[in-house]
Amino acid sequence: MEPLLKVENLRIELATRAGVAPVIDDLSFELGHGENISFVGESGCGKSMTALAIMGLLPDRIGRIASGRIIFDGEDLTKASEKRLRDLRGNEISMIFQEPMTSLNPVYTVGEQIAEVLREHEKLGKTAAHNAAIELLDAVRIPNPKGRVNDYPFQMSGGQRQRVMIAIALACKPKILIADEPTTALDVTVQAQIFDLLRDLRKEFGTSIIMITHDMGAVAEMAERMIVMYAGRKAEVGPVQQIIEHARHPYTKGLISCVPHIMADPTFEREELTEIPGIVPGLGEFGQNKCLFAERCNMVVDKCLRKRPPEAVFANGQKAACWRAEEV
Amino acid sequence: MTELLEIENLSVRFPVRKKGAGWGGKTYLTAVDSVNFTVRKGETLAIVGESGSGKTTAALAIARLVTGETTGQVRLEGKDILPLQQEQLKAMRRKVQVIFQDPYSSLNPRQRAEDIVREPLDSLTGKSASEKAAIVDELFAAVGLRPEQKRLFPHQFSGGQRQRIGIARALSTRPEVIICDEPVSALDVAVQAQILNLLRRLQADFGLTYLFISHDLGVVQHMCDSVAVMYMGKIVEHADRIALFSNPQHPYTEALLSAVPSVDAKRREETRRILIPGDPPDPLNLPKGCRFASRCPIAEPRCSESEPPLKQAGNGGMVACHLREAG
Repeated sequence: MEPLLKVENLRIELATRAGVAPVIDDLSFELGHGENISFVGESGCGKSMTALAIMGLLPDRIGRIASGRIIFDGEDLTKASEKRLRDLRGNEISMIFQEPMTSLNPVYTVGEQIAEVLREHEKLGKTAAHNAAIELLDAVRIPNPKGRVNDYPFQMSGGQRQRVMIAIALACKPKILIADEPTTALDVTVQAQIFDLLRDLRKEFGTSIIMITHDMGAVAEMAERMIVMYAGRKAEVGPVQQIIEHARHPYTKGLISCVPHIMADPTFEREELTEIPGIVPGLGEFGQNKCLFAERCNMVVDKCLRKRPPEAVFANGQKAACWRAEEV
Repeated sequence: MTELLEIENLSVRFPVRKKGAGWGGKTYLTAVDSVNFTVRKGETLAIVGESGSGKTTAALAIARLVTGETTGQVRLEGKDILPLQQEQLKAMRRKVQVIFQDPYSSLNPRQRAEDIVREPLDSLTGKSASEKAAIVDELFAAVGLRPEQKRLFPHQFSGGQRQRIGIARALSTRPEVIICDEPVSALDVAVQAQILNLLRRLQADFGLTYLFISHDLGVVQHMCDSVAVMYMGKIVEHADRIALFSNPQHPYTEALLSAVPSVDAKRREETRRILIPGDPPDPLNLPKGCRFASRCPIAEPRCSESEPPLKQAGNGGMVACHLREAG
């Protein structure tokens, strides 16, 4: 079967003061029907840019798709008109954002904000849309939806606001839901509730989910495959559990081991955390013909600084862009 | 080991305007409600809890940095610090310093890095200029910053480097206790590890005692020696690290631990997700009994009748729950 979404050799350029920088540099991936993939990496690695490109929401006049294709359900989105993209957004592809506090409009009730999507895309009448909004609030498990539908965002807690965001995103039963760090601003018990909700909704509607995160634990709980991004490039891709057990890119390995993960049986001795020295390079360094991770890598050899590593493909489906992937 | 810090019946409440009480109607929001705990010299006590649980208020009260009405006792080396004024307060501030959560807003953008690090020495000590300069040099080396970076302004540093400046500032007066208020939650994961390793190294080198506030239980498990779990202004469980993580007693602690997503496949299979539905109660209108009763999966009628005190628990720590007592 054709994948639902296919991104081929995508290159996104951002105009900066110092010149044009490739924030996304030759990215290819596929998303199957009902599949859940995760983008992982530090800030400034191009995770959110990928999401915005799929949504057709790249910053006007600053960012542009320089080459490559984004094929959704057989249609190339890079060639679609603005009107067509408007039709798709919120209808076939929708997105939930990181900050539930700031991504709702404070002067409209939450019910009105959910109903707007339905009126726009499904052409529902005023009353029908309002009633559908109540049903959606119930679906995202907000208690007493009839009463809460007329609440303003400030009357809700962070977790409830994120549920409203999810209700808006799911109003038209999209085929793809992009969740950009959906729980970063929330407490762990609320995060667990949101994850359960996303899992249930996916089961019910068969929605494919692209989750962007930096939390390997969340990836392990939610996704089947992960794509590790570094400096605009794909560092590694493969099935989640496999990568966690044996990463094939030094960056992935570092990302997993630098975080103190909660363990089932804590030991008395605690070893120092593995550090990835330094920070992600600035946009000016992107796009060079070398491994951009080389400066921070503990396995660096001469070759890494001379030539961009090709993707090493492993029999188990993992792919890693590293000259020494076999040895990792 | 001696008890460096003893907290007894610490409460902090803030006056808030009351709805419907007319002009001047006032009520109090009790953010921290008679909290008791002790911290030994050289150890790390973590205070965990969700937003609104009072963990930051409790810790800042210990540093004398809250504006609310504070009652109870906070004894540092046996001496209550809550009534201290002026010179004595300054002496106490030399011993208790804070590392803040957000390295972007906690450094003065108009000051150079060396001035930021030197500021506590200027305002709290009478050291000479050359002594101060020597301390600043030493601290820059200790936190891993280069000497030539002393003249730079905060915006010229990355997030991790700024947090290093914040740490150097906290260390400048050679404090006994450092309150780390979510010191890594604003940082990228790879930079987190650098800062956490630095904090542990400095603790060993300088013999520091940490009060570590965090909502990230993975970080807490890595950093602390004992853990106090707060819920709605109360400590619901206080135990040493291994007991708390391997054998939690309070249902809230269990729920909190079970909610953490994990990369450990074994742990994921073993933990049964304990769901706590709903939201915490309104802090202005707290229930009579246990504050967790309305969301607790094992609550009994008596839980909403009387408030459980903090008592000896089966894992060697303390727990405030009617259903989980020792024996």
